[in-house]
Amino acid sequence: MAATLTHRKIDWTGIAFAVVLTLIIVFPLLVVGTWAFTNVWRYPSVIPQEFGLRFWEQTLARADVWSSITMSLTLAFTVTALSAAICLPAAYAFARLDFPGRNLLFFSFLAGHAFPKFGLLVAIAGIFLQLNLIGTFWGVVLIQLVGTLLFMIWIPVAAFQSVDRRMEEAARDVGASPLRVFWSITLPQAGPTIAAAILLSFVGTFYETEGAWLIGAPQVRTLPVLMISFINNQPVIQYGAVLSVLLWVPSFIALLFARRVVNSGSFARGFGG
Amino acid sequence: MTMTTPDQIGSVTPARRRPYGLLLVATPVLLVLWLIIWPIISAIITTLWVPTPEGSAFSIETYRFFFSDGYSLSNLSITLWTTGVCAILLLVVCLPIALYLRFSNTKVAAYVQGLAIFPMFVPSIILSFAFIRVLGPNGTVDLLFNAVGLPKIRTPYLTPWGPVIGLVWDNIPLTVLILLSGLGNVSNQAIEAARDVGAGRFALLWHIILPRISNSILVAISFAVLGIFSAFTLPYILGPAAPEMMGPFMQRTFRDLYDPQTAITQAVITFGFCIVFGLFYVRSVAKNRAA
Repeated sequence: MAATLTHRKIDWTGIAFAVVLTLIIVFPLLVVGTWAFTNVWRYPSVIPQEFGLRFWEQTLARADVWSSITMSLTLAFTVTALSAAICLPAAYAFARLDFPGRNLLFFSFLAGHAFPKFGLLVAIAGIFLQLNLIGTFWGVVLIQLVGTLLFMIWIPVAAFQSVDRRMEEAARDVGASPLRVFWSITLPQAGPTIAAAILLSFVGTFYETEGAWLIGAPQVRTLPVLMISFINNQPVIQYGAVLSVLLWVPSFIALLFARRVVNSGSFARGFGG
Repeated sequence: MTMTTPDQIGSVTPARRRPYGLLLVATPVLLVLWLIIWPIISAIITTLWVPTPEGSAFSIETYRFFFSDGYSLSNLSITLWTTGVCAILLLVVCLPIALYLRFSNTKVAAYVQGLAIFPMFVPSIILSFAFIRVLGPNGTVDLLFNAVGLPKIRTPYLTPWGPVIGLVWDNIPLTVLILLSGLGNVSNQAIEAARDVGAGRFALLWHIILPRISNSILVAISFAVLGIFSAFTLPYILGPAAPEMMGPFMQRTFRDLYDPQTAITQAVITFGFCIVFGLFYVRSVAKNRAA
């Protein structure tokens, strides 16, 4: 493989990878997608006996599905809004101001990543137990908020640092107020990256399962937590399949917006690569 | 870690040294202190200073229990086994993909890269469901085998191989990206020079490429180990009920057995097993960010 520097006419290695990866990565998801639009699929028929939307109606008629969709969206909006409110000013400060301990504090957000995540969640749960936060909405908000801090600070810091300082200074020179400069020069340049960070933290929070399960269950039931109980206790396969398709929507939106970011080298470098 | 040189996150003009920046960063920093640093310290303290009739005293009793309890030990060993097998499989699967992607820029390569990154956009809960539908009892593989007259497979669902398959699938994207980023440091000239002096493919890989990406391989392994060692969702859904991996084990001890002291002991033990990987990983990320 290493020797494919010179182009061959037909990329056999690539075709082999493409076929195997399609089978392993796309095929299982297609199976789930098929199940979601199936009314009857009994063993051992290779294709479903009857396609249809019957189980969409039944799934969407369930009260537990709606309450967990509402819960998931409320949680994700609350956490993302709080995270933006506390992290964006901090990111601006890290990018533009000098203050004692700036580097140490900046790198302190990595602390959570030096430990296995679920172990850390259990240690936090030990603290929440004393504060009676187990099984509460705000307990889950706090634990998910901590999970967003690193990206919501590091990505916007990079965004603020890449803003062209000469343009800001030029605007100041012709008499613009600092607020005006921030609004008209800084924000439009840093905005798209910050929006990507906000989107990523929304999607990440929406799918966060472990903290919600450990801290929130059974009182706080998010969509992924409901999905776990469907997988464990629900004999009707289609409920889980329909819920999977519904659950995938935010990820699909993220996929549309974030693919360029993910494919760029700086993303992998952010993970230490 | 060296975090004290002033220019690490990009400099600001010295004239603008303003302590009120501290106010702006205070809330997230306090959150880190309260919900990451303090729980870790508190976990260590509460598991080592246990309450006795005469006040609390130093004791390693909870740890002694863990390391003498057969069930805890078998959970620990299944976790170590799963983590090891996943790390090896990830390298075996991802290194060839990354090498291929580094040295070709065909349309097929773009498709392969898209596929390799795709699992990042599939939440593990959907992956678990898909796994059961495809490899579970009477799943799609059984259907297809049955259609061509083959016997049913021995399903990996609810066996130790279930979490292994799921976790490898889930970790492919970042492993490929980290390795690919490392391969970016291998210059085409170095490879052409080696080839000019007659190096074969294997010699090229072993003497030229691997030494240059060894750090990226370590970073990829560290990241995978940190994620897999205390994984919860995939082992909880796909793995056997007993022995269970540390993630489900801690969750059950905490929530179902109402025994936070033991659960926190288990958490501290997972910290201990991962600390080397954790520090190495964090150091690499910090170094990259500072560069």
